[in-house]
Amino acid sequence: MLKLNRVTKNYAEFQAVKSVSLKINQGEIYGIIGASGAGKSTLLRIMNLLEVPDEGEVEVNGQTLTSMSGKQLRQARKSIGMIFQHFNLVANKTVYENVVVALELADFPKNERRNRVLECLQFVGLESMMDKYPAQLSGGQKQRVAIARALATNPQVLLCDEPTSALDPGTTADILGVLENINKSLGVTIVVVSHEMEVIKSICHTVTIMSDGEIYDTVSCKPKGMQRKENHPQYFVEELTKDVELDHA
Amino acid sequence: MLETLTQYETEIWQAIAETFVMVGVSILAAVIIGLPVGTLLFLCRKGNLLENQFVFSIVNLLVNIIRSFPFLLLVVFLIPFTRLMIGTAIGTAAATVPLSIIAIAHYSRLVEQSLLDVPKGVIEAAISMGASVKDVVFKFIYVEARSGLVLGLTTSIISFISYSTIMGVVGGGGIGDFAIRYGYQQFKTDLMMYVIIIMIILVQLIQFIGTSIARIIDKR
Repeated sequence: MLKLNRVTKNYAEFQAVKSVSLKINQGEIYGIIGASGAGKSTLLRIMNLLEVPDEGEVEVNGQTLTSMSGKQLRQARKSIGMIFQHFNLVANKTVYENVVVALELADFPKNERRNRVLECLQFVGLESMMDKYPAQLSGGQKQRVAIARALATNPQVLLCDEPTSALDPGTTADILGVLENINKSLGVTIVVVSHEMEVIKSICHTVTIMSDGEIYDTVSCKPKGMQRKENHPQYFVEELTKDVELDHA
Repeated sequence: MLETLTQYETEIWQAIAETFVMVGVSILAAVIIGLPVGTLLFLCRKGNLLENQFVFSIVNLLVNIIRSFPFLLLVVFLIPFTRLMIGTAIGTAAATVPLSIIAIAHYSRLVEQSLLDVPKGVIEAAISMGASVKDVVFKFIYVEARSGLVLGLTTSIISFISYSTIMGVVGGGGIGDFAIRYGYQQFKTDLMMYVIIIMIILVQLIQFIGTSIARIIDKR
C-alpha cells in the first residue's frame, strides 16, 4: 500500500537517503530503526513528501505522489496522517480547535465536524479536555491530541516520527497502546520511526534497520505486545537493576 | 495650569484630532499593507514555504532603504509622490502619505520577526495535513504568532506617534507641531510641558492596552 522506489535525498554534499526501495503492506505496523543520522526520519518524511526526494518514486494507496501537482498532493496528504516527536500542536488553539482544523482543511461537511472531533477525542480518551490549551496538557496527552488530529480525516496510513521519544516509559506504553489499537480496530497502516528498540519490538510486524542512508536489513517479527508499565518509581529501579549494579544510597 | 490649557483648548483638541488622523491612517496602512508585506518576506525567505531569493531580496532591500532614511528627509523626498497621490503636499491628509510608507516598512519588519518565532514543526504539521499556503498562513502561522503581531503593532503605533510629531514641516499639524509652535516658539514652556504629559499618558495607555491584549490571547 506504500511503496518507495529507489528514492534518494541529498543535503548539499551529504547523502541522507541512498536509493532506498521498500514496500509496506496494508494493515501492518512497519518499524524503521537506526542510529541518529541513519536517514530514518528523512525516509519517513519522504513518504508524504514533506521532504521531496531528489530521485525515485513514492507511491501511497496506488497513487504516485512524486508525479502529482501541488493540488493533487495536498488532496493525497489528507489520507496520510502524521504525528511528530514534539507533537506540533498549535499552542494558541484549544484541543478541539487543533483537531477540527484537520477537518476544515479536508472540507469535511460543516455540521458533522463537531461529532467527528468528539469521536476522535473519545478514541484517544481526551473528550473531557476539549477546551484546554496544549500548555495545560502533559506530553502524553499532547501526543494523543496529535493522534486524534491525524485520525480525524480517516487516513489509510499513519506516519509516526519518533512518537514517544519525548515521553517517559509509562506514557510511551500508553501511546504505543493507542497506536496498536488504531491499527487493530481501524485497520490503519502504521509506519513508526524510532531509535528506541523497546518501541519497535513491542508493536511492529516488520522492522527495517537503516544505516548510513541505506537499508541494512528488513525482518518480520511477532510483536511481543505492550507490557503495561505503570509510571511507578519502582519501574525505574527495576530497569536500572537489569543493567547496572545498584547500591542504594 | 488649567488656565493655559483652557485658553488653548480648541487648538489642543484640534491638534489631537490631527494626530489621531495621521496615526490612524498609518495603523491602517501597517495592517492592510505592512502585514502582507511582512508575511511575504517571511514566506520568501530561504527554507520557507515560498522560498524565492529574488522577491525576498527586492522587498527586503526596499524595506531597508525606507527604514534607513532619516524620517524628515523621507517626508521631503516623498513630496512629489505625495502630490501625485493626494493632489497637494501640504496638510494633514498629505502628511499621511509619508507616514503610511514608513508605517508599512516598520511594521512589515516586525511582522516578519514575529512569524519567524512560529515553530517550524507547526508549519510542517499543517503541510502534512494537506494545507495550502493560504491555509498555513491564516489557520496556523497567524494564530500561533498573534500575540507577537499585536505587540509589534503596539511598538509600531508608538513609533508612528513619534514620527507624526514632525509633520508640522508639511503643515500636517498634530500635537507635536502644536507643542513646537505654541510651546517652544512662543516661549510658553508650561504649555509644551502639558503637551509632553498628554503624549506620555497616550503612549502609556497604548502600551498598556497592547500588552494586555497580547497577554490575553497568548495561550502558549
